Amino acid sequence: MSEAVQLDAGHDLDLGWMDQHGPWDTKAEQSKYGLTLADIQLGEYGNPPVESDNQTGRPRGAAERPGSYRIGNYAVRTKSEIWLDNASFLYEEALQRQWSSATDIPWHTIEPLPDDIEQAQCTMDTFLTEVEFVAGDVPARWIAQTTPDFFEARNVLLCQVMDESRHMDVFRKRALANGGGLMKATGGTAGVVGSIDLSRDFTEMSSRLHISGEGAVLTIFRMGELMAYNDAEKAIYRLCAQDEARHVAFGVMHMRYMAETAPERHEEIHCYLDEAERGILAGSQNPAGQFPTTSESMAILLGGGKKHFDEGRNKLIAIRRRQLSEYIKRVRSAGFGDRFDNGRSQVPEILAEIAA
Amino acid sequence: MTPVPNPTFEWMNQSRQWGVRVKPGKKGLTLGSLNVGIYGEIPTEWHDQTRNPRGAIARKGMPPVGYAIREKAAIWADCAADLYEEAIQRRWAPATDVPWDTIEPLPDDVERAVCQVCTELSQYANVDIETISSWQHQMAYGYHEVKQFLATATFDAGRHYEVFRKRALYNGGGLGLESPGEVNRMILESRGGWTEAVTYLFLLRGSYAMTILRYLERFAHNDAERFIYGHVIQDRARHMAYALDHLKYSIAHVDAQSTVLATLLFIGDRLFARELRDPVMREALAIIFGGGVEGARTHGMATWEAMMREFMARYEGACEWLRVPRAPDRIPEEMRRFLPEAA
Repeated sequence: MSEAVQLDAGHDLDLGWMDQHGPWDTKAEQSKYGLTLADIQLGEYGNPPVESDNQTGRPRGAAERPGSYRIGNYAVRTKSEIWLDNASFLYEEALQRQWSSATDIPWHTIEPLPDDIEQAQCTMDTFLTEVEFVAGDVPARWIAQTTPDFFEARNVLLCQVMDESRHMDVFRKRALANGGGLMKATGGTAGVVGSIDLSRDFTEMSSRLHISGEGAVLTIFRMGELMAYNDAEKAIYRLCAQDEARHVAFGVMHMRYMAETAPERHEEIHCYLDEAERGILAGSQNPAGQFPTTSESMAILLGGGKKHFDEGRNKLIAIRRRQLSEYIKRVRSAGFGDRFDNGRSQVPEILAEIAA
Repeated sequence: MTPVPNPTFEWMNQSRQWGVRVKPGKKGLTLGSLNVGIYGEIPTEWHDQTRNPRGAIARKGMPPVGYAIREKAAIWADCAADLYEEAIQRRWAPATDVPWDTIEPLPDDVERAVCQVCTELSQYANVDIETISSWQHQMAYGYHEVKQFLATATFDAGRHYEVFRKRALYNGGGLGLESPGEVNRMILESRGGWTEAVTYLFLLRGSYAMTILRYLERFAHNDAERFIYGHVIQDRARHMAYALDHLKYSIAHVDAQSTVLATLLFIGDRLFARELRDPVMREALAIIFGGGVEGARTHGMATWEAMMREFMARYEGACEWLRVPRAPDRIPEEMRRFLPEAA
């Protein structure tokens, strides 16, 4: 290098650090998906501790330095509190499936719509702009409180914050792209007890956010084709559903891990689910629920205008049925399905009532 | 249960500004292009404590979520919306975009040095993650462009944490020794406000990390390392652009802010200088620059000193651009000796 000056006398080097390292001779190999997080789970590097005593932010497997400063009084440092077995897979998938709301949505396919439909669309966009970043704000707070020993789970949550940011922006873009504008907010994510924001425990938060909240939204996005009026809207719902499915999978897989490894917390988890189910169709967090602003908007979109409101309402009820069926499947998959068999959950009754 | 109550349609015709039709430009439909009419009015203070999107009609009577950062001067940077879109366009995936098969076995001393540097850089990324994500949920919705840009910044940092770990575990080595942690703690403890966190995380640590990465890119042993360092630089350059733009804005709008930053840097420099006394990172870099331990003793260390001069020029240059007063005689000797005038 031109700026490197040859010194007359060599520098003394300490080099003591060269013998202080984690397990050596580690040779990760690429798999068919490249060099994934799963491919570097080798030996001790792949073994997250059941209880983490890492207070210095040390990368898992690195050598400890006795004098290192404690930087993190991590609230989440028990593996069962946050772990899931497929975090590496979800993370890599999230990286591969990132998309751009600026360039990947065919915005030119949007044509002017009748005013009632545009108002309904913009109301839904306002609502989704409002709620999508709950799922950004809240995981971010937990990321900062989680030991890096569980970095795989933490990295999935980082992807979720990114995804939600994109959702927040794509619905704002849609609202302002077609002669409409933002409408009245629902305030549905305000700071009330029992809200996603105020959860005091990660699994409590995950049950409210991933299983209940995002699960309901995922069903709507998956059925977005029914209320899309152009290819741009279809692309938005399809791409958001893809992201949302990963977030829901995180919640289901985490809860499954919790069910398998922390039986002492089963009753507590059931209580979180009791609470989530009480608001599953009530309140304003589920747009297909009973809150008039969003449910009426959806009925207009699904029916094809105010004139076809009843037709739209029937489709909305079909969406609710599907939301509840999918919720039951997720909770069963997570290992808490007994609540539907022993009468603890009211969801089967609600489902039967809707179907009648 | 009434499936759906009879409709009232009371929510209709409630918009502060209707008839907006933003068209995609040559970069697509960007976040910044949405700032038209009332939707582009960014208030000096944001009083709403709910998640009311900027420009929407608020629903009255909702309990507050509780945002701590509600002043534009505490968060804003004009470039945030553009940086957000740029971050999305320039996304990359370590698993598939890094040409891992170009990595060949290295001499043991060099591999140990690379692994040590990767361990340290992974830990830098960890501090980025923990610092930014501890502030994100405290930022009011009125400044969503910044919240969204910072979502890309933590996403980038997660990728950096991952890619340096992958490099350390790919070529017959492993992770090295953890960081001394004093500067990490200082950054995480910058609780006074987001601007203070930006000062330590980006202006001080970020300038240093960028300089290291530029030198590592020059001394990369293969295309994989060159790709990694080059792409991390690209990501960090966006973070730095936000930081400098925000600090400039803050200094322009907050009384005596430049002297606050000067005081912060006076303290931060001392902790940073103490960590510079630790030989681990210095020697590991010198080994990489010198091609081994023997080379490290001579031209490797000389290159490290050149790197430090470049760091100080970059750091002091940023302070000068920001008009943050700096007195050379108050800069610790460990840093002062690398100032251009000290050469």
